[in-house]
Amino acid sequence: MSVRDVLRRVSEPIARISRRPPPSDDDELFDDEFQRKLEYLAIVSRRVFAGRLRAERRTKKSGSGVEFADHRDYAPGDDFRSLDWNVYQRFGRLLVRLFEEEEDLSIYLVIDASSSMAFSSKRKFRYAQRLTAALAYVGLANLDRITIVATTDRIEERMPTARGKARIFKVFQFLRGLEPAGTTDLGDAMKTFVAQHKRRGLVVLLSDLYDPHGFERGINVLRYNKFEPFVLHVVDESEAGPKLTGDVRIYDCETGEERDVTVTPKVLSQFRSSYQSYLSEIRKFCTERQVPYVPAEVNIPFDDLVLRVLRRGGFLT
Amino acid sequence: MHFYGLPASTLLTIAAIGAAAIVSLYVLKLRRRPVPVPFVRIWQRILREKEATSLFSQLKRILSLLVQLALLALLVLALGDPRGFASNKSRNVVVLIDGSASMKAVDVASALNPSYARIDAAKDEVKKLVRGLGGSDRMLIAQMDAAVTPLSTLTGEVADLDQAVALVRATDSRADFPRALRFASDVLLGLSSPEIVIVSDGNLGEPRDAAGAVHLGQVAISFVPIGKGGRNVAITEFSVRRYPLDRDRYEVMLELYNASKQAEEIELDLLGDGNLVDVTKLKLNPGERLPRFYPNLSGARRTLEATIKPANGGRDDLPADDHAYALLPDQRRIRVLCVTAGNTYLEASLLLTTYLDVTYVAPSEYPVKGQTFDVTIFDDVTPPVADGSGSVLYLDPRGESSPVKVDAATLVNVGFDTLDKKSPFLRWTAIDDVYVGRAHRLVPEPGDKVVGASEKGALLVTGRRAGRRFLALGFNPRDSDFVLRIAWPLFVLNVMTEFVAEDPSYLSSFRTGEVWHVAVPTLSDEVWLSAPGASSPKRVPVQDGRAVYLGLDAGFYTLEAGPRGAAVKAEFAANLADAEESAIEPVAVLTVDGKTTGSVEGFHVGVRSEWWIALLLLAVAITTVEWATYHRRITV
Repeated sequence: MSVRDVLRRVSEPIARISRRPPPSDDDELFDDEFQRKLEYLAIVSRRVFAGRLRAERRTKKSGSGVEFADHRDYAPGDDFRSLDWNVYQRFGRLLVRLFEEEEDLSIYLVIDASSSMAFSSKRKFRYAQRLTAALAYVGLANLDRITIVATTDRIEERMPTARGKARIFKVFQFLRGLEPAGTTDLGDAMKTFVAQHKRRGLVVLLSDLYDPHGFERGINVLRYNKFEPFVLHVVDESEAGPKLTGDVRIYDCETGEERDVTVTPKVLSQFRSSYQSYLSEIRKFCTERQVPYVPAEVNIPFDDLVLRVLRRGGFLT
Repeated sequence: MHFYGLPASTLLTIAAIGAAAIVSLYVLKLRRRPVPVPFVRIWQRILREKEATSLFSQLKRILSLLVQLALLALLVLALGDPRGFASNKSRNVVVLIDGSASMKAVDVASALNPSYARIDAAKDEVKKLVRGLGGSDRMLIAQMDAAVTPLSTLTGEVADLDQAVALVRATDSRADFPRALRFASDVLLGLSSPEIVIVSDGNLGEPRDAAGAVHLGQVAISFVPIGKGGRNVAITEFSVRRYPLDRDRYEVMLELYNASKQAEEIELDLLGDGNLVDVTKLKLNPGERLPRFYPNLSGARRTLEATIKPANGGRDDLPADDHAYALLPDQRRIRVLCVTAGNTYLEASLLLTTYLDVTYVAPSEYPVKGQTFDVTIFDDVTPPVADGSGSVLYLDPRGESSPVKVDAATLVNVGFDTLDKKSPFLRWTAIDDVYVGRAHRLVPEPGDKVVGASEKGALLVTGRRAGRRFLALGFNPRDSDFVLRIAWPLFVLNVMTEFVAEDPSYLSSFRTGEVWHVAVPTLSDEVWLSAPGASSPKRVPVQDGRAVYLGLDAGFYTLEAGPRGAAVKAEFAANLADAEESAIEPVAVLTVDGKTTGSVEGFHVGVRSEWWIALLLLAVAITTVEWATYHRRITV
């Protein structure tokens, strides 16, 4: 056997391997392992909320439920069947019996799809995608109404409201189709959101909160419109220590805004302090306004974080 | 200030290119690298504080550029090797290193380095002097042997001087001390603090030559003595010659000299063609010169060597004069073509020596095709000379082909009234009373030489025609009593040996330290000489058919004449043969021009102060500071 034959025998398998298409990121995003973890989370979530009402939420609205809630005066047009005749016999007043309406919880998962989420190899965005999928699965498993919205400075994409575990693949398909691009303006995006969604509910905001117009606006819009915001702050700690040195011209990956800076160890230290200060501001803002806030560090396994979210409360209760 | 390094134009070019490169790099440095960040607002918080110091940052950048330009300026200046003007205290020193044969003595050798000779010790001493030069001092190093060879310029460059010291070597010749002193004093004429340093064993003789004693004037002179021993026995003469009539045998004459202070027993070996011919043990008293004569030797065809060594083994302090060389004349048979109708006297004379290879042809058979000859004899005929005939002896030439014009008138009853008795053709002959019955007057051309003539005209003329030597006899020998004389066969033999350059006075060896005039075997001016131990031959000038060369080394030489590939080779030998040079007892004190030389003073290692070193150190210091501050982000 000649050397050339030996080389061909060795090189051909290598060439075949190298010709194989690389595994797609989207394929890996919601692979079998991921789906097994979702199932686990769904089971754990039931255990966490054992003894509470499952897949149900009582509202102050009068409706067709079985739990008595209150009386009110009869008004023309009311259903006669709801008149409380006992009260009429005792007090001579026509009162209508109100029952607490049992309705599904509406959970809106708002995922930030701006360019900053794609920074550093899309780590933050991929993490947000997984979190969204996990929370959506938990919600679907609890028979909640799940709506997913992708925002930048506007509503980019919207997945119609879904219910039931079987719709999880629709969620996957929706999330796979998202591509981070554009600038962040949570204020405008949430204004559009509340205008489009009359049904109030829990709004889980998954974002890095890099909003040039201020992260507060978007949260406040939700609060002022009777939504229950839940902030999942997607954080990549590597952004606190950029590997920069010397004279550079930094520019914002969303807005393109430029600044000249000479990076020294001292400057890097100041930047780290400034970054931590920014995170503290967000936490403080949420705490003061009783907005549930959970920092989602991308290095933490997403299933651990989902459990932390569930324990944090407010998500299913 | 003077620049001793690169010329100013080159320095300016380097400075311009370097400055352009630095400024270009600086401009490139100012062009910032664009880097994306996820959220520029976080940066803006700290940049508000930094902007307050931006003016200081710009100043630091300019400072950085200025530092780089200063570095460039320092390096360019260092390349220029600036020196201050020579002060009145700066010294100008000529170091004369003795390169004579006595400096080959190994009396300073140690057991670890048995080949360490006086010349090596001298070079080490001179290196110390070079290291001890002051910053503005200048030194010239020259080797002093049969000639004076400056090996450097008058310079303060240590590297150049070290290189010059490395070139010094001992030769097999005597040092021409007065010539070296005159050279040194000429170099130092008009210079400040002139000084001559002689590094030698002191065997230099009196500083006096044909122009008289050497006067040094105000030039200071110092002496670095070298050597410590003086045990030496030398071969001071060595000569050999063949017997003219028995060329297989030869005789050798040599002289031995004991320069030691004690009696020496030595063994003398004679080698012929590398083979031992004779061994003799001799005893020489202190200072004794012992001539030895060896007659009737045989067994060598070409080379002869004599070597001596102590009878008890070992060696004396100067091995260079323990070996002598000589060459025997070439023993090749001479090819002679005799064009004659028959001449008993001529044939008889050619029979007297066995080293002639004679071919007889009738005049009608000339030329002989396919053969070449060293000598052709035209007896009573004068045909056109064909190629390959060699030199020509004409006996009674006539006609158009005669090399000289022959007077038609016949001279009767004439003889040689005038003779050139120094002519090699007439060596050992007496022909001034030869009777010539009939002869013809020869008319020589310009450049020809009349060897013999009667009062009526030239009878024996020699010269060259078309590069070929000839000798014309203006009469038929049979018309005279020349053929009956003893001189006739001697004359014929002289003609043969002269034509093939076999001179009985052949020099068996030359003496080193003299200008040699070596006979060139062809007419070519292209002559190459291979000296003993030389890696390649050296072309030497030719004057009057002889190669001129100042011989400095003993041994066998090979001379090649003619174009490469078709050169004719000749060999000769050279010997030191100098009793004074063999007296190697070192001298502690020299006296020159009535002044006793002192020891060298004022050479201290480490006193040099060349600016380029300081400039380079300054550049390195600035670079170090720049590097340190850069990495501490002070000058960023």
